[in-house]
Amino acid sequence: MQTVFISELKPFLDAVAEDMDLYVPKNAGTHYVYNRYDPAAEAPVEFNNIRTCTPIKEFLFPLRELAAVFPEPLEPKDIKPFAVFGLKDCDLRSIEILDKVFTEEEFEDPFYTARREKMFIISSDCSEPAESCFCTILDGRPFAQSGFDLNISQVKDGFIIEVGPQKGKDFIEKHSQLFTETGEALLSEREENRAGTQKQLEQNNAELKFDTSIKEIVENSQDSEVFDFEAQNCIECQACTRVCPTCHCFYLYDTKREDYFGKMKMWDSCMRLAYAEVAGGANPRKVLGDRIKHRLMHKFSYFLDRYGIDMCVGCGRCVDAEAGGVDIREILKKLNEELKGKDKTKAKVAK
Amino acid sequence: MSQNLYQPINSEIVDIVDESPTIKTFVVVPEEKIKFKTGQFVELTLPGEGEAPFTPSSSPADTEKMDITIMKAGRVTGLLHECKKGQKVGIRGPYGNGYPIDDFAGKEVYIVGGGVGLAPIRSLFLTLIDRIKDFKSVVCRYGARTPDDFIYKKTLFGPWQKIDGVHMKLTVDEANGEWKDNVGVVTTILKRDDVNIANAVAVVCGPPIMMKFATLKLLEFGFGAEQIYISMEKNMSCGVGKCGHCMIGKYYVCKDGPVFTYDQIKDYPNIWD
Repeated sequence: MQTVFISELKPFLDAVAEDMDLYVPKNAGTHYVYNRYDPAAEAPVEFNNIRTCTPIKEFLFPLRELAAVFPEPLEPKDIKPFAVFGLKDCDLRSIEILDKVFTEEEFEDPFYTARREKMFIISSDCSEPAESCFCTILDGRPFAQSGFDLNISQVKDGFIIEVGPQKGKDFIEKHSQLFTETGEALLSEREENRAGTQKQLEQNNAELKFDTSIKEIVENSQDSEVFDFEAQNCIECQACTRVCPTCHCFYLYDTKREDYFGKMKMWDSCMRLAYAEVAGGANPRKVLGDRIKHRLMHKFSYFLDRYGIDMCVGCGRCVDAEAGGVDIREILKKLNEELKGKDKTKAKVAK
Repeated sequence: MSQNLYQPINSEIVDIVDESPTIKTFVVVPEEKIKFKTGQFVELTLPGEGEAPFTPSSSPADTEKMDITIMKAGRVTGLLHECKKGQKVGIRGPYGNGYPIDDFAGKEVYIVGGGVGLAPIRSLFLTLIDRIKDFKSVVCRYGARTPDDFIYKKTLFGPWQKIDGVHMKLTVDEANGEWKDNVGVVTTILKRDDVNIANAVAVVCGPPIMMKFATLKLLEFGFGAEQIYISMEKNMSCGVGKCGHCMIGKYYVCKDGPVFTYDQIKDYPNIWD
């Protein structure tokens, strides 16, 4: 792939902001959030070394949006092109997952698709993964593999920009005066950095080893007590599903306005007690442990069966956000141990 | 038609039939024709108030209007029951798979229904009798709490029982006044020799508890789990397999159902809850 070099971020970001609305990471102390880019701001934009706290889904599938209007139908308004800077590999893979759900041929969500088409993705390499990052377990990398328009890697003297397909190429051509060539030395510096972060991640996750696929582990957990045990720590804050970049459950509700009736679409959470309840009162997942189990099954079994990929990218946001101390990695570890125990018992019985 | 899958088609309630103390049938005329297969469901919106899933109770052959039979069960259905003729509503759909009636050809169709579960069954029944010669027979077993709780009384107690090829038996949990027929839950009128099981399919629709015990009874008679078709009532909201509310195991009831064979769902926990 084509690469170019810049020594400073600002002229590049200014050029992006000339063309479209740009959102950039902002350091909020313990984590990064997204803010609208202000070219006049004094403080420079910080290169986020790790994913933001807020999930990328909010750019494509906002927390709340108007989905239909009565009596005149609502079609997606002209969405202006916008750019987001600082997405990591886990974020790009979360978009791939959401695309499966919302751009399905037969049932395409017009609002998601409209935003997706207008989104200009500027990803960047990770260099300081958190303790909670476990992307390498789910085939993730600390650098973007695909799905970006431009990807930025920080090196000692500046930034290497890797150019993605059409939209990225067009941008680089349009603003060619900003960029210089990259040489072998810069590219090998980038490879060294990437390998270093990859190694760090693998060390972080050295203990997270499974004896078989995660799919097999969760599918064999139907009678496990681990979920009810974990439920004792869960305070049902639903933060895990809010910050999860792949969780996409939503809730439709109707509203009255002065001159129209609206149907709203809002994020929902499968961890909520009444989530699956019907008007008659029946609810297949009244028990919290069953809801935790359903969430894991959805991520590692059901979604995989339907769309061919896991519905988890290992970004660890749920681990960081979790107020009660429920840790998806620990649950998987425990289930793996249980399955190992079962297999041993089976082997004994067979003898 | 709107390209927005969340946008309902503007419709109007043109007639309302009181079926029982808690059940009404709303005759709805949509501005655009809605073609559906029997057993598929629609999302009915009461503008500004809410939306809920219902399986139309009319025949798909009637493309001018759609009957939707609704039991007062929650907030939205309660508000719908207060609606008058002329009320504007919205319809999205149809969604889901419907009954595979072509697969029923040449077979005995054994229909077990209870309460408001007769609504989807009425649509199926009307579809079957339109081409009754395609099926070996249609054997119906319906139950209601009391004689007053039967819906579609005018046709159920009369014309439907006289159709060639249709065999019908009714029961009530509690009799009153004139009732001379069977008293007992619907499973008490299911008999092993009602149909030739080897060449039959069963269709079960009703309240969850009734579906559970009817299914168990059919299995006991020797029906295979793959011969029993169940219409699942779950919290279908988006209707297009995205919002997640109606999931049973890996299935989205709205997209993969609402009609399942018992075989497809029997291993998932709490399917009747």
